[in-house]
Amino acid sequence: MIDIRVSNCNKSYGSLRVLKDINLEIERGEFIVLLGPSGCGKSTLLHIVAGLDRLSSGEIEIGGRDVTDVEPKDRDIAMVFQSYALYPTMSVRSNMEFGLRMRGKPMSEIRPLVEEKARMLHIDHLLDRRPSQLSGGQRQRVAIGRALVRDPKVFLFDEPLSNLDAKLRASMRTEIKKLHQSLGTTAIYVTHDQLEAMTLATRMVVMKAGEIQQIGKPEEVYHRPVNLFVADFLGNPGMNFMKGHLRLDGGRVSADVGAATLPLDGYAFEVAPVAGQAVVIGLRPESIQPASVQMSDGGAPYALTLKPILTEHTGSDNLVVLAMGEQEIVGKFPSDMLPKLGEPVAIGFDLSRVSVFDAESERRI
Amino acid sequence: MRRFLQRHMSQIALSPSLALIAIFLYGFIAYTAAVSTTNSKAFPRFDNFVGLEQYWRLLHTPRWHVAFTNMFLFGGLFLLVTISLGLVIAILIDQRIRAESFFRSIVMYPMAMSFVVTGIIWQWLLNPTLGIEVMVHQLGFTSFRLDWLTNPDTVIWALVVAAFWQGCGLVMALFLAGLRGIDEDIWKAAAIDGIPAWRVYVFIVIPMLAPVFLTVVVLLALSIVRSFDLVVALTNGGPGVSSDLPSVFMFDMAFRRTNLGLSAASAVVMLGTVLAILIPYLYAETRERA
Ligand SMILES: Nc1ncnc2c1ncn2[C@@H]1O[C@H](COP(=O)(O)OP(=O)(O)O)[C@@H](O)[C@H]1O
Ligand SMILES: [Mg+2]
Repeated sequence: MIDIRVSNCNKSYGSLRVLKDINLEIERGEFIVLLGPSGCGKSTLLHIVAGLDRLSSGEIEIGGRDVTDVEPKDRDIAMVFQSYALYPTMSVRSNMEFGLRMRGKPMSEIRPLVEEKARMLHIDHLLDRRPSQLSGGQRQRVAIGRALVRDPKVFLFDEPLSNLDAKLRASMRTEIKKLHQSLGTTAIYVTHDQLEAMTLATRMVVMKAGEIQQIGKPEEVYHRPVNLFVADFLGNPGMNFMKGHLRLDGGRVSADVGAATLPLDGYAFEVAPVAGQAVVIGLRPESIQPASVQMSDGGAPYALTLKPILTEHTGSDNLVVLAMGEQEIVGKFPSDMLPKLGEPVAIGFDLSRVSVFDAESERRI
Repeated sequence: MRRFLQRHMSQIALSPSLALIAIFLYGFIAYTAAVSTTNSKAFPRFDNFVGLEQYWRLLHTPRWHVAFTNMFLFGGLFLLVTISLGLVIAILIDQRIRAESFFRSIVMYPMAMSFVVTGIIWQWLLNPTLGIEVMVHQLGFTSFRLDWLTNPDTVIWALVVAAFWQGCGLVMALFLAGLRGIDEDIWKAAAIDGIPAWRVYVFIVIPMLAPVFLTVVVLLALSIVRSFDLVVALTNGGPGVSSDLPSVFMFDMAFRRTNLGLSAASAVVMLGTVLAILIPYLYAETRERA
């Protein structure tokens, strides 16, 4: 069942086109994450769904109802902001109550509801404080609580964790995920943090300069990016890109990347490969490991002997920069395997994970 | 030497102005207080100590009572009118209206004028034979009367209106800056919560402007104490002494009635009054912020 439908949505500020023909369908209960570099129009899209911004053309539907010209308060949504946007002159309790009071709900119902949600978010002992007396994490909990008590059809989050420190961000992320799992309410979540997107999303929408690049499950977007932008934007450290061109030898396709020729027998081409076509081969660091390490799907990996030129510990593993002809690639080694610099080692390539992009259009082929 | 300079540069840079303040502000406050304990006439003399007798005389001068009451009447009305209307105008301009800068300039223009010019303009406007009254008469409403300047009971309103006309721009500008400084997300959250705009202003935004109120009250309070030139230009304390303010009284005693001792006593009482009002207010406000 479609809960939110955004159709042919455009938004311009003067001559600046911020959103370009956005189409998006969201099923009930999904957790959609809008991901993209800052300034790409994520917040604008969220504000348009909320009704805080008017769209220049297009339509918005929520719960099967056309809400294009409906006021935010009548859209049955709740929103959590990066700056928390708590009312500083009111206690935590009043912050959570105010929206319900405005809707004419009797106090006898509001009280227990607020207290229940506050307990759920572990802020019940803070109810009589002012927002200025709370820490960042507590403020964000209150902001989430304010959204929760409204029991809306849709939750909207605009970078709710961006103002928190790394550790708190991770734990709040888990809590938001748990919350969504227990409530099952449809949610749209804006972030520029790919880790948040990967962990929270049931589906993610990658945006660039006002355009949707790819919509899909996190692992799908991660492993099968539709273009170089998405491939490059996701992953830390980023995907390795090797420039080369395709070879066709009697039905067998391979890619000549200078220092080696990578067999692409197992690769599912979406567009028929052309001999001599200039391509970019993308392979994530975790698919480049010592040949002795068993990788994903069993089959004997393609192996090359390469020289490590730099190593970095990250704690959980070692990042190894390898010279591959003119180009450099990064492999992810287990933390107990630290190769000596300059001494060639046998490296296994998990080519079942490879992505092939046309060099000119930058699209996946 | 260099390290000494580096470490103490700020003190060195500030010391001339500190010295000037010490002499010309606190020094002369002390000097005035000293004069108020003497029987000085046209010139300050310290050979005739009379203790608190000048204060005693001040307490029994009816004209001083009028002036002192007027300060509170004028000050209270002026604060009330200027703050409330200034805030309302700022809120209206904050509605992202068209030609915002045009309206902003109109409200701000009087600020560029000195109190003397303001006083003269309003003296003309309120003059029954020249100004607004004549204009309204010419429109056909011949029973209209605007005798604020000649009626001792309402002359205080003439002062309030003129002072408001001048002070409103600054107050509006301060409030507008405060309103513009409020996190946009608060408005968005309120829109989603379905809180009507007037309620957002009353319960959320205006309480958030508390620091601006502090600034405005202090600035207006200073202009109340300094409003000497406005009174001189607009009413000259008249009719009779009905629009006298302590500053006018003080000036009159010092330079026309050659009674420097009494004048100094009134100055000290004025200072004391201002401090008595401002200090608790500043204390409460700054402590709340901290
Ligand atoms: N009110 C506005 N007026 C003009 N330009 C705006 C306005 N709001 C956003 N923009 C522009 O729209 C673009 C997208 O903004 P936004 O949706 O906030 O990006 P994101 O949330 O992805 O960082 C930016 O280039 C921004 O400068
Ligand atoms: Mg944003």
